[in-house]
Amino acid sequence: MRIWHILRSRARSVLLRDRREADLTEELQFHIDRETDRLHARGVPIEAARQQARRTFGGVEQIKDVCRDARGTAILDTLVRDTRYGLRRLVRDWRFTVAGVLILGLAIGSITAMFSVVNAVLFRQQAVAEPDRLVNIYQNDRAGQPLVVTTYAAYVEMAAYTDIFAATMAASIPNPVRYLDDGAIRDAVAEYSTATYLDVLGLRPSIGRWFDKTEERRGAPLVAVLGYQTWTSVFRADPSIVGRIVRIEGLPVTIVGIGPVNHRATVDIGLGTDFWLPITALPAMTAVPAIRDAPTILAPLVVKARLRQGVTVTQAKAAMDVLGPRLAAEFPEEYRREGEFALGTGITVVASTRVRVHPQADKAMMALASLVLVIVGLVLAIACSNLATLLLVRGATRAKEIAVRLAIGATRSQIVRHLLIESLLLSLAGGVAGCLLAGWGLQTLQRIDLPVRVDVTLDSRVLAFTIALSLVTGVAFGLAPALKATRVDLLPSLRDEGLQPIDHRRLTLKNALIVVQVAVSVLLLGGTSIFLQQLAATRALRAGYAVDGVAMIETDVRFAGYSAAAAENLYRELLRRIAIIPGVQSAALLRGLPMQNNSVTIVVDGATGTAGSTVKAGMLDAGPGFFDTLRIPLLYGRTFDARDRANTPRVAVITERTAREYFGTLNAVGRRFRLENDPSSWTEVIGVVRETGTGRFDDDVLDPVPPPIYVSYTQSGAPPTTVLARTSGDAAALVAAMRRELRAMDATLPVMTAKTMRRELEESQAVPKAVAMFLGVLGGLGLVLASIGLYAVVAFAVARRSREIGIRMALGASRQQVVWSVARGVAGLIGVGTGVGLILSVIAMLALRAVGSRDTGIGNIAVYRPEIDPVTLLAIAGVMALVGVAAACVPARRAARLDPLVALRHE
Amino acid sequence: MSDQTDVLPGTLDLLIMRTIAFEPMHGWAIAQRIHQISNDLLRIQQGSLYPALHRLEHQGWITAEWGASDNNRRARFYALTRAGRRQLTTEVAKWERLSAGVNLVLQRT
Repeated sequence: MRIWHILRSRARSVLLRDRREADLTEELQFHIDRETDRLHARGVPIEAARQQARRTFGGVEQIKDVCRDARGTAILDTLVRDTRYGLRRLVRDWRFTVAGVLILGLAIGSITAMFSVVNAVLFRQQAVAEPDRLVNIYQNDRAGQPLVVTTYAAYVEMAAYTDIFAATMAASIPNPVRYLDDGAIRDAVAEYSTATYLDVLGLRPSIGRWFDKTEERRGAPLVAVLGYQTWTSVFRADPSIVGRIVRIEGLPVTIVGIGPVNHRATVDIGLGTDFWLPITALPAMTAVPAIRDAPTILAPLVVKARLRQGVTVTQAKAAMDVLGPRLAAEFPEEYRREGEFALGTGITVVASTRVRVHPQADKAMMALASLVLVIVGLVLAIACSNLATLLLVRGATRAKEIAVRLAIGATRSQIVRHLLIESLLLSLAGGVAGCLLAGWGLQTLQRIDLPVRVDVTLDSRVLAFTIALSLVTGVAFGLAPALKATRVDLLPSLRDEGLQPIDHRRLTLKNALIVVQVAVSVLLLGGTSIFLQQLAATRALRAGYAVDGVAMIETDVRFAGYSAAAAENLYRELLRRIAIIPGVQSAALLRGLPMQNNSVTIVVDGATGTAGSTVKAGMLDAGPGFFDTLRIPLLYGRTFDARDRANTPRVAVITERTAREYFGTLNAVGRRFRLENDPSSWTEVIGVVRETGTGRFDDDVLDPVPPPIYVSYTQSGAPPTTVLARTSGDAAALVAAMRRELRAMDATLPVMTAKTMRRELEESQAVPKAVAMFLGVLGGLGLVLASIGLYAVVAFAVARRSREIGIRMALGASRQQVVWSVARGVAGLIGVGTGVGLILSVIAMLALRAVGSRDTGIGNIAVYRPEIDPVTLLAIAGVMALVGVAAACVPARRAARLDPLVALRHE
Repeated sequence: MSDQTDVLPGTLDLLIMRTIAFEPMHGWAIAQRIHQISNDLLRIQQGSLYPALHRLEHQGWITAEWGASDNNRRARFYALTRAGRRQLTTEVAKWERLSAGVNLVLQRT
């Protein structure tokens, strides 16, 4: 009851504040009047009585204050009042406010957006039952490091340890597939797994079932489980999808269930799996003969197992240590294989909770993520130090205002409270701006057409963290000058002698902050230059083939249920029809797209090149007329023609780079190589062509394109998919004409790709473009922030020195001299900052080179190796200096325009 | 005037509540009454009377209402609430214990 009463009284006193005030005044006035009456009645003259009453009563305003405090409304009241006051101040200093909110918003927004992405890829935990009992199992390479690939044969042997493992499963890494939905071809991600998949994870399908052991037999009708997210987003959560047939890679597949809720993929790096298919469906789904016809499943497998109750990871390790040598004895052929995936006898068992993607890959991904976070953190550092500078400068300029308020009776705690509330208001406004920016940024990020679809949600924890950080910054740097200012000796401040000794100390906090800002901006711009360099290199790279007038159309006959023989006829007919379209000069068939090559491992016969005998190559299935259509010049030998058939010896055309690096000579005609996983695939080089930029550039940073090798689709055992043509006219018109021809032949054939070569080239540069843009925006941001900081510091210095400047000018100093005297200090700061930034940039580039040249141990992850380009670095330094000087010049010029008389009188 | 005493800190609330226990009074009258009853011995600092009234009201022990004073002006009359009455009883008991104890000690020494 009392609590209720107090609350009500408090609420009333807040709501009815004005009435309360009037009441209080009236009540006290009544007291004084009554006392006057009493004294008057005793014979004191009325004026004297009034004075005496007033004197005995004491200070009315003080008593009012104490009464208000007694009511307990004081805190709320003053809070409202202080907030109003703070808002008024912020509105009045709107330039400072806008700068502060922008700085904070940009910093909070960008770091939250970036961390949300990193979080989606690296830190989001997967929901599985009893995660402590899950282990990942990998076969090792000869150095004892876990390989990416575990073979199916090894998996079968591992799964036989039923006394250790309650359940064991294998799943392929995510595979790109295409499926037909509502007459349109969609890109999707498929995993091929064993029937035991969910048993190991301890999860249940949300609808229907997982596929079972009988459906896992080779040759069984194809079935699939649809990912929960795909089901809700693409199929609008329609339960009738279960039981329906979906054409995946052209083959009819029955959907038997919907995956577990919140289970995105076996390896969750933000890439959601759309379909899970039985591991045995892999050969049927792929058109690559080596995989299709292999006696066993050939796929990089992730093996996970659930330990039996009470079994430790160490015990599992011990069991696998026994299995390793046994496997080596059982499959001597496999263990003798050389090359990238050369097997060692060891087996690694790791608790699943300690692995994100792969024990080796995790390190690289962590490094990459830290790099991104460091970059964003640098921007945050600039922003915070910038805010600090602004607040420091403002705090110092307000010293006089504070002194005045102290002099007219404000208490120190009141003033500190005011400043604190102002800082908080500013930080909160910045936080709101940051939220908006982060949301917008993530939306934009997801609209960029990247090859990887990452499911990103705004991370509220990060948002809270960054806002808290800015609050702390705001309060810390708003409060420090406030405390300092309230300790002032009142008199000199009030008089504003303007004769305070000029601050000649070099190492002030402000200066240090400016140097940091300039240095970090330069570092960010340096980073941008690395990626711009790469982009420029990609752009400048001679495509090496005709681009204008070239167009392509891709279809997959399996979606229309064609047999292999019928497919061949269809493509030949399509090629014929396209070749006679008016204006078409040349046309050719190929498999895939002209810039997409399959990374394969080959063994070079009698290798004399620098790379050794087992090497990687980018293989592309082309046909007769391919080099003609793209106008790629032939240097030696011949290109494909009608002589190259399925039953004639295998032939290949290589580029000059491949010839030089792998065969040790430019004219490699007559030399042989074979696919590493197919001993009978010896192929003869029949021609060497001019080097081309064949190969998409979108994964350049992580996976440099291996030297290309062209083979003939007529000999690879898989039908072509694409017609490539060159016209003397408009390529876009040719695309439309090709679409019409395809439709005329068979309207059920889906168009997978139909575009011009120009467009394909543009799209292939999406990633370096995006990275350069990202860094460029951050670098620009840093530049803008640093110049705001510089401006603030110089403006402050000018304001402080206006009296001195006035004296100088009165004594005959010229404007240039005034500008120079102001700019000199700033120039020093910019110089030091730029120098430090340049040194840091060079160190960063050297570090990147060092990382890039070291073998990271997993497959082909190699980091881009930047060139250290002194011209670019100098240009960056120049830009920084220019921007800084410009920022400093505005207030400096203002100083020079000062009227000496006004300046001298300046208070 | 020199033999007048400021009320002991903490006892002002007690005196106020006791004074208005019989009838509602306004602030000036409360001060007068305490002054008179104590035979001019106790003097209330005006500066602390009103804050004390507002504090007591805020705590819910007394209520205030506008009414007409003896000279027909609007004045704020304070009255004891039921909770205030209970509080007064405990406070009086507490005071009696305290003063009895203090007296005992003073007589012994």
